[in-house]
Amino acid sequence: MNKSLQNVSIAGVGESPLGSVPGMNAMELQRAAALAALADAGLSLSDVDGLLTTPIRVANWAMPVGMVAQGLGIRPGYLATLDVAGASGTAMVHHAAMAVATGQATTVLCVAGQNQLSNVSRDAAVAQIAGAGWAHPEYEAPYGPLVPTLYALVAQRHMHEYGTTPEQMAEVAVAIRGHAALNPLAHKKAPISVADVLNSKMITTPLHLLDCAIVSDGAAAFVISSRPGLKKRAVKILGQGYGFTHTYIGEHDNIATTGAVQSGRAAFAMAGVKPADIDVAELYDCFTITVIVELEDLGFCPKGEGGRFVEGGRIRLGGELPVTTHGGLLSAVHPGLAGGMFHVVEAVRQLRGEAGARQVPEAELVLAHGNGGIIGIHCTLILGKG
Amino acid sequence: MLAPRPQDRFTLPRCEDCGKFHFYPRPVCPHCASARIGWAEASGRGEVYSHSTVHRAPSPAFKDDVPYVIAIVKTDEGPHLLSRVVGVSPQAVHVGMRLRVRLDKRAEGVVLPEFEPESVK
Repeated sequence: MNKSLQNVSIAGVGESPLGSVPGMNAMELQRAAALAALADAGLSLSDVDGLLTTPIRVANWAMPVGMVAQGLGIRPGYLATLDVAGASGTAMVHHAAMAVATGQATTVLCVAGQNQLSNVSRDAAVAQIAGAGWAHPEYEAPYGPLVPTLYALVAQRHMHEYGTTPEQMAEVAVAIRGHAALNPLAHKKAPISVADVLNSKMITTPLHLLDCAIVSDGAAAFVISSRPGLKKRAVKILGQGYGFTHTYIGEHDNIATTGAVQSGRAAFAMAGVKPADIDVAELYDCFTITVIVELEDLGFCPKGEGGRFVEGGRIRLGGELPVTTHGGLLSAVHPGLAGGMFHVVEAVRQLRGEAGARQVPEAELVLAHGNGGIIGIHCTLILGKG
Repeated sequence: MLAPRPQDRFTLPRCEDCGKFHFYPRPVCPHCASARIGWAEASGRGEVYSHSTVHRAPSPAFKDDVPYVIAIVKTDEGPHLLSRVVGVSPQAVHVGMRLRVRLDKRAEGVVLPEFEPESVK
């Protein structure tokens, strides 16, 4: 661990109601998550002197962190809106920890989320995501790729280079749905089989509907603090790292490999541990192929072996490396930029032994990983018991 | 600032200092950081680097097109670019398939280069 992080802890975690929550708007969801995380830490809003959030898509918030501060009724001395796309969840921990380690704040509340599902129709949500700029507006978007198409290009290339199969990708969805079934808060809990995935609607070859993340309402929050005498066992940030390769997928010359190589290497070096030491991996799972590539690039298996690695129940609870134990973006909750925060929330619960039916016995080291854009930006965290 | 892309032939941005092509257009050359960049004629030949057949349109504007093939094309000059592969059954498209450009498709008045198999007469 970096010495400057010795007194920094993840003190509390929480979430709003998740799934289809038509009765709550984005601010109400965020407030519910914030109060849950603060209660978990034994703190209150008056203890918060730092605030981080992400932009939302469902409403035109000119200054998101200002809207959230106002909505919570606080005037923090450190505040920022963070956007590294899907890596924002893990990156928030990093930024909050830096603020606390440098004395800029004592207690930083990180909170984000929105009513991505209930705000608009499903078709409108798909159009909104497709038009959000993930494809180059002039040189890619006019051809009509979905966001899933841009990941499908990764999947197709991975299949070509390494022989990865649709069945192996489907196993990722099946394993993670099995974890969601053990999470009372998860949006989608009904068990699925590999055949169910392969028989679900083809969206953009080779990705089926069940290879893709869901769309949900929800918000998550966590509290990063240097206060002594916390209510619960503190979770420590042992390692963190970033990796960036590109903004638009077309310009990345080697799309079967990601910036997770760089982010993982940095995080493991800082923590002084290796992939084999990790007990649980909360991997960003926007699509099934994402998990396979991350397993390789973070060093859990050799490059190209990710498809074979997920076979035989290896990433299921009880397997060698349980992956995304809360049910992830594929099954538990995906409300947009806040989606990767739930991986952090779950990592903390696993380390505290609070994960209930999905608890990994004696989880001492948990990796949480965020992937943003079209595999372009990555932030890896390695968390441990305080 | 880079001039508008020529509409009558297939071009790629090329650095006037190091001579290398790149894509997408950007303020400085990714190879040598020179800011002297112009559009240079390219062969319009390349191959499929990866591909996906879209079955669900991202918006109503594309509903009449499905299914269609989105591909990353590795041009013979080096740069990768996103495009469509046309003039062939989606099932026949494969990594490594040789392609040549077509310039007949337009979107909002701007030519939108697409690719077809070299084997198409």
